[in-house]
Amino acid sequence: MKKWLLVSISLLLMFAAVGCSKSESVNSDGKKTITMWVHISDENEEGKVYKKRVEAFNKNYAPDNIKAKIEFIPRSGNGGGYEDKVNAALTTSTLPDVITLDGPNTAAYAKSGVIAPLDEYVKDQEDLLPSIKQQGTYKDKLYAIGVSESSVGIYYNKRMLQEAGVDLNTLPTVDNPWTWDQFLALCKTLKDKYDKPAIDMQLQSKDEMLTYALTPFVWSADGDIISKDGKKAEGVFNKKPTVEALTFIQTMLKEGYTTRTPVKQAFETEKYPMKFSGVWTVTDMKTNYQKVDYGVIPYPVSPKTKKLVSPSGSWQFAMTQTSENKEWAAKLVDWMTNKDSNVELSRTIAALPVRYSSEKVMAKEFSDQMNVFLKQLKETGHARPVTPAYPQVTRAFQQTIDDISFYDQNKDIQKVLDTHAKEMQSAIDKAN
Amino acid sequence: MRRKFGPLTILEYICLVLLAVLFIFPLFWMVASSMKPEAEIYNDMSNIKAFLPSFHPSDWFVSYKQVLLRFHLLGYIGNSLFYGLCVAVGSIIINGMAGYAFAKLNFSGKKVLFGLLLAILIVPFETILISQFTIIHSIGLVDTRLAVILPALAGAFNIYLFRNFFMAIPKEIIESAKLDGANTWQVFWRIMLPMSKPAVATVGTLAFIGSWNDYIWPLMVLTDKSKFPIQVAITAINSTDPVYTNQVMAVLTISTVPLIIIYIVAQRYILEGIGGSGTGIK
Amino acid sequence: MSKIGWKENRSVYTFLRPEERTKNKTRWKENVVAYTFLGPALLLLSMFLVIPSIMSVYYSFTDYYLLTPDMRKFVGLDNFINLFQDPIFLKSLVNTLEFVVWVIPLQIGAALGLALLLNKQRKANTFFKVAYFSPVVMSLVVISVLWLYLLNPNEGIINNVLTYFGISAQPFLTSPKQAIFTIVVVSAWQGAGFQMLIFLAGLQNIPGDVYEAAQLDGINKWQRFMYITLPLLKPTSIFIFITTLIGAFKLLVQPMVMTQGGPVNSTMTVVYYIYQTGFTDRMVGYASSIALLFGTIIGLVTITQRKLVKEDED
Repeated sequence: MKKWLLVSISLLLMFAAVGCSKSESVNSDGKKTITMWVHISDENEEGKVYKKRVEAFNKNYAPDNIKAKIEFIPRSGNGGGYEDKVNAALTTSTLPDVITLDGPNTAAYAKSGVIAPLDEYVKDQEDLLPSIKQQGTYKDKLYAIGVSESSVGIYYNKRMLQEAGVDLNTLPTVDNPWTWDQFLALCKTLKDKYDKPAIDMQLQSKDEMLTYALTPFVWSADGDIISKDGKKAEGVFNKKPTVEALTFIQTMLKEGYTTRTPVKQAFETEKYPMKFSGVWTVTDMKTNYQKVDYGVIPYPVSPKTKKLVSPSGSWQFAMTQTSENKEWAAKLVDWMTNKDSNVELSRTIAALPVRYSSEKVMAKEFSDQMNVFLKQLKETGHARPVTPAYPQVTRAFQQTIDDISFYDQNKDIQKVLDTHAKEMQSAIDKAN
Repeated sequence: MRRKFGPLTILEYICLVLLAVLFIFPLFWMVASSMKPEAEIYNDMSNIKAFLPSFHPSDWFVSYKQVLLRFHLLGYIGNSLFYGLCVAVGSIIINGMAGYAFAKLNFSGKKVLFGLLLAILIVPFETILISQFTIIHSIGLVDTRLAVILPALAGAFNIYLFRNFFMAIPKEIIESAKLDGANTWQVFWRIMLPMSKPAVATVGTLAFIGSWNDYIWPLMVLTDKSKFPIQVAITAINSTDPVYTNQVMAVLTISTVPLIIIYIVAQRYILEGIGGSGTGIK
Repeated sequence: MSKIGWKENRSVYTFLRPEERTKNKTRWKENVVAYTFLGPALLLLSMFLVIPSIMSVYYSFTDYYLLTPDMRKFVGLDNFINLFQDPIFLKSLVNTLEFVVWVIPLQIGAALGLALLLNKQRKANTFFKVAYFSPVVMSLVVISVLWLYLLNPNEGIINNVLTYFGISAQPFLTSPKQAIFTIVVVSAWQGAGFQMLIFLAGLQNIPGDVYEAAQLDGINKWQRFMYITLPLLKPTSIFIFITTLIGAFKLLVQPMVMTQGGPVNSTMTVVYYIYQTGFTDRMVGYASSIALLFGTIIGLVTITQRKLVKEDED
């Protein structure tokens, strides 16, 4: 028994030791290898598309003795895991040639010299949607290209709105959006009818979703989180437009039109008539909640400016500074985000395209709901602040929302803004 | 043991059962939720139906089928089992040996080392992740299975646990074994370990669970997906929008069941160890 | 004198030498054996815990930014000075202490209660043990997600049960006042099964004849518990106390998954803050200084505790 144990242990350990020492940068068949890490699993639909596109790349460039290798590092919910691995590889100088990174990381990675500018290699930038260029640009250089776009809108339950006496034909469109006041009126009608919150705004999710979905209200009021050059938060964030936008959100809470404690999936199970959510909910509705007949309307806008602004952003491809084959690494980045890759990805998962050329193709194939998102994005998409101190900036913003949602304790929005603007400013000063 | 069924016994049983319900209900919820369509999970949220699978048996395994279609779970489970077993066996031997030294052997620097051991307990693992990776990298183990296993083997907690158990074993037993000509290793292997089955089972189970539930470390040191453990698949399912709760629950059920089985097996071993050793400590 | 002295000295020398020699020899041999047993563990612990910890101590005096590891430089005590002016760190320290103070008695008490209940020959014991232990088996992330559903203020099962018994629905994790206590209860619930197991092993190590002798002396159950069981459980209790204490100080996953430190930072714990500054904000130097300071605090608490309750060696 004990001998058997010992033998099996040593076998296990030997087995463990075997299977190391692979991964060389030049292949046995004499081809140059470009290695790429992506943040998802190859067993997801998105991962499968990447895999196919890499195969196509290899086929296309086979005569050039080039081979791209893709490795799948599934991230966890908050980006952990994958980003930890990138950071670890960075400390040991073992980064691959191409990596994926989340939009708001562009500035930090570019500033620290983790990723290299693409301008020299990627010439055709005119086709990219403005929001994508904005997201991937740091100090006037393009460092990264988004894989797909996303957006947020207001999902509404057609039946529940009609039963509350709302004429669906009068609902807003991207060309003709509603002001916050008009939207509040709709919420009132719905709240009076159903005696429940009218909309789940996902205010409870104290994560990136808050920043992503709520900053457009600030932009719509002609405000901003940080200044255009990325150097100032104090005197930008704690200004009147932000106060107006947050007053609107606070009113939604105060009047009970939305709640910090929504019932889970309340919209999907037809308990609440509306939900504030991203494009990805379209897929969810299609697979799991087919019975719900729903539509999508764009963001409500500031009554003063009447300017519609919507969020945008996604993960992107970029090449690393340490890559020895910059030309080919850049080619791979370009390939993974070109029209064909883009169309294929948009068809497979509910993602919005990043190029005008692919947008034209997809607009014909998308459902009505998806087209609302697409039009809103194309005409009004706005990237998140570009700053190396983004993690602290976004957290301060989330904290602001958290604070003002306890409206009885924090009546003075200006004071809350001052506190958090100071936090942002000190983080920005440290990072720059 | 005498058996009497007084009112006290009945009260005791009621107590035990109520507590069992309190501790086990999330498990039931998890399994039940994996056996119904997504929408039903949320509709049932507020009543007792939350703990029952779908009323249509045809729905029961749909999410399992979907998950198995999407992911090559068997390979991941195989990897996780391999890592778990290596870590469990390795921790028992390595920490057992160290625990034995602390409990029964005399050596210089014992007090200092023991203090250091307690200090190690304090280190929050999360803060030294990158440094640990640097070390794995410098000894050239990146992307090997050994990189997953090695750092998980020695643990201050487990050494401490073994030490406490070994201290309870009377000196006379060791001395009589030594008189019979056993060397220190034989004393450890033939007497200390067999007499501390509860500790062995506890450390083994804990090490296995820890290795099974770890996600960040394996992902950090591995790039070859054929070596990934099950947690990587769980995270992939759990973090790609849209998240299907019933599929998440299915994969969680699949990943929790082996742990429960391992615990039940280990549990039997503990009982056997205490009931049937007949060697001094009872 | 000198001659005799020399002789005497010499005789002392010849008298002592062999014993000393064997003493040294056995001592040396003992050390070799002991360090052979310690060897593998010491090697692995130093490689993966001690060295990284020392590196982290060094980092705490630098401005190490995660993305530019090569550009870090020594900044002296800057991080520590900033630390004491950081309101979130101070808040997290208070929160962590609050958590520890509540969770320790609750969790250890629950574990001891369960162990006492199970310390009896019973057919169904295996089932109960597995039941009480099952939350330990499940990963913390899973448990936290589950409780998030169950504790939903509007439709969660817990509030439905409460309203059924006429108690008004509670906000739980969404209230700055209740959130930390909710996490206390969930954590105690999750971990108690494990300490129960160790208590149980400790209880079963108490020889039966001790109780039998006590029975002859005619003491009641309470006295038996207070004067026999508890003192004999002392080594086990110390072990459980120390490990649970340190574990409680390291609270991270539950607030990370259930509340993200909110609402209004009421559940921000120190280790969570270390994680946030180190990984999310990438300020490794700063995070390391928090870790160092915090480690010192836990160390002091543990040492004080060990001084107060002297462990019976051997």
